[in-house]
Amino acid sequence: MRILDTIFMLALLALAMPLVISLCLSKTWLILKTKTAVKTAFFITMIPFAWTLWLDPEQTKTFSNSILLSTSTFTIKLNFIFDQYSITFMPIALYVTWAILEYSHWYMAADQHIDKFFKFLLIFLMAMMMLVTSNNLWQFFIGWEGVGIMSFLLIGWWQGRAEANLSALMAIIYNRAGDIGLILCMACMSMTLASLNLQQFSYTNPAPTLPLLGLILAATGKSAQFGLHPWLPAAMEGPTPVSALLHSSTMVIAGIFLLIRAHELLTTNKWALSICLCLGAITAFLASLCALTQNDLKKIIAYSTSSQLGLMMVTIGLDQPKLAFLHMSMHAFFKAMLFLCAGFIIHSLNNEQDIRKMGGLHKSLPITSACLTIGNMALTGMPFLTGYYSKDIIIETMSTSYLNAGALLLTLMATSFTAIYTLRIIMLVQTGRPKQPPLTPLHENIPMAMNPITRLASGSIMAGYLLTSNFTTLKTPMMTMPIWIKTAALIVTIIGLMIGLKLVSMTNKMPLNPSHIHDFLNSSIYFNPLLHRALPKKYLGLSQKAATHSTDQSWYENIGPKGLTKMQVPPTKFTSSWQKGLIKVYMISFLLTLLLVMMLTNTL
Amino acid sequence: MTPMHFTYYSAFIVSITGLSLHQTHLISTLLCLESMMLSLYMALSMWPIQLQTSSFMLTPMLMLSFSACEAGMGLSLLVASSRTHGSDRLQNLNLLQC
Repeated sequence: MRILDTIFMLALLALAMPLVISLCLSKTWLILKTKTAVKTAFFITMIPFAWTLWLDPEQTKTFSNSILLSTSTFTIKLNFIFDQYSITFMPIALYVTWAILEYSHWYMAADQHIDKFFKFLLIFLMAMMMLVTSNNLWQFFIGWEGVGIMSFLLIGWWQGRAEANLSALMAIIYNRAGDIGLILCMACMSMTLASLNLQQFSYTNPAPTLPLLGLILAATGKSAQFGLHPWLPAAMEGPTPVSALLHSSTMVIAGIFLLIRAHELLTTNKWALSICLCLGAITAFLASLCALTQNDLKKIIAYSTSSQLGLMMVTIGLDQPKLAFLHMSMHAFFKAMLFLCAGFIIHSLNNEQDIRKMGGLHKSLPITSACLTIGNMALTGMPFLTGYYSKDIIIETMSTSYLNAGALLLTLMATSFTAIYTLRIIMLVQTGRPKQPPLTPLHENIPMAMNPITRLASGSIMAGYLLTSNFTTLKTPMMTMPIWIKTAALIVTIIGLMIGLKLVSMTNKMPLNPSHIHDFLNSSIYFNPLLHRALPKKYLGLSQKAATHSTDQSWYENIGPKGLTKMQVPPTKFTSSWQKGLIKVYMISFLLTLLLVMMLTNTL
Repeated sequence: MTPMHFTYYSAFIVSITGLSLHQTHLISTLLCLESMMLSLYMALSMWPIQLQTSSFMLTPMLMLSFSACEAGMGLSLLVASSRTHGSDRLQNLNLLQC
């Protein structure tokens, strides 16, 4: 049935139109019409979404058209797949992007290059659509690289700022380190399978570990798992709409999406699953640990994104790709909303990002603080909000499987830490006395910013219920378990909440100097100074010793000419200081020699 | 040792003693040098006569020509030093001493 492809092409066309038409029309036209284009594309993609949900969720249609690359043994075609994952994700991504575009019309209004900003966001969106709907690892890679490049351009949007350039470079370098894994996997598959299509992903049981390790490396780079994670908190240097779109909902889930697509291979290989599980658990734990001591609002939300990505990785390690996908889709709503609220607060307070200088916004910005609270509660997994439907099921599944107890413990602790830092955000930003300067004009009469936030808030509340009631999973979830396992996530969250409340009441009894642990966590476990400064210094010192000192100076110079000089000059100086130029004495030595010779040879 | 040999030896030794132990003037050094040359010339010329080897009879002439060059050079050095320092006293030639 060609209707799905037609609809998708129509949606892509709607997205691409502003880019093409803006070449000949004015700047303001682009800004006004981009949001409309994305809204249109959203409604277009809702049609196949509703169609497949109500009729047959498990159907998969592929659509292959023109040939991208053809050799004698191998052809790669332009191949789209419309299965449950891509059909569900496209409207969600477009909904979030619609909200973000409307919001950034207000946020970036003072920027001179606002049309370029919108173009960048549109190109990013098209690359993301390509990534999500590709049936082919080659096409997937095109989308992957596309989102990486746009991330680089958008993080470094304010190019005059050195930290922004640094963060953009960090993002691209860490992503590249992960891309090695993806290319490795593509190479392995090109050699052993018939084509790079997803339908061809079948090896003997168990699947070889090398391509899967490559995929896990790619996911580590793109989804900021532990090891290649520093770029995600640093990416907060970009404007808030960029953080909301790229680094919370859409780009960073590309790695997890790849692992979801490669699910048939991962199922057979226990090693790869264990690696995913442990990596995800470590990421979730460490990221939430680092979020506890941060003072920058956007960085806390960035670390919570990293923590949720770790949770998604854990789900993949549990061999539950549909659950991971569910969590991914729901996370997009409330995380994007959290970022938009944070951006609104920062902009209203005249670019103040430190939560220690905010306070009492509950009364001044009621809608924003309400939405912030809703987003935080969804994040912690408040029952029957969006986050609950995926997070709780994940933790239940984890508790009832035979797996690494350490991973389970780390994930539960990460859940409790989530409660603590969200409580910290709520208390420091919304409650208490205002700590900002008194003349900041705080108001919310901006429909262009408020409507997106409230739309995403309604999504945060209802999307969970709507998606789970229409989504079917092939693996039946565990229904019977002891009551303390069933309520494990809730109990752990409540414990975290109580600890947080107790800690907040102790703030006037804190020590004067921050402790070592505080510094350790504030600088994200010293990862950045270690990996970016100490290690390269050691490498460069080693290379200096090997290349310059050893080869150039020792072997070329000191063994040859300079060494000769060094050996000859001191004895020369020493002995020439003895010759005093006493000619007469030297002459007497002639005489003495002659006399001596004559006496010894008896010629006298 | 024959008296002839004794004459040459003693003349040479006396001259070389004079060369080594010269005190004030450079010209005495040159004179001793000339006397050394003279004793050597006489020894070199007596040698082929006594041993009747006629192929060595040229040797004293060669030595004499070289000694003439050297005497000339010694005298020119003397003149040069008396032009710069004003006399040929040996106390003036102390540039190499440290």
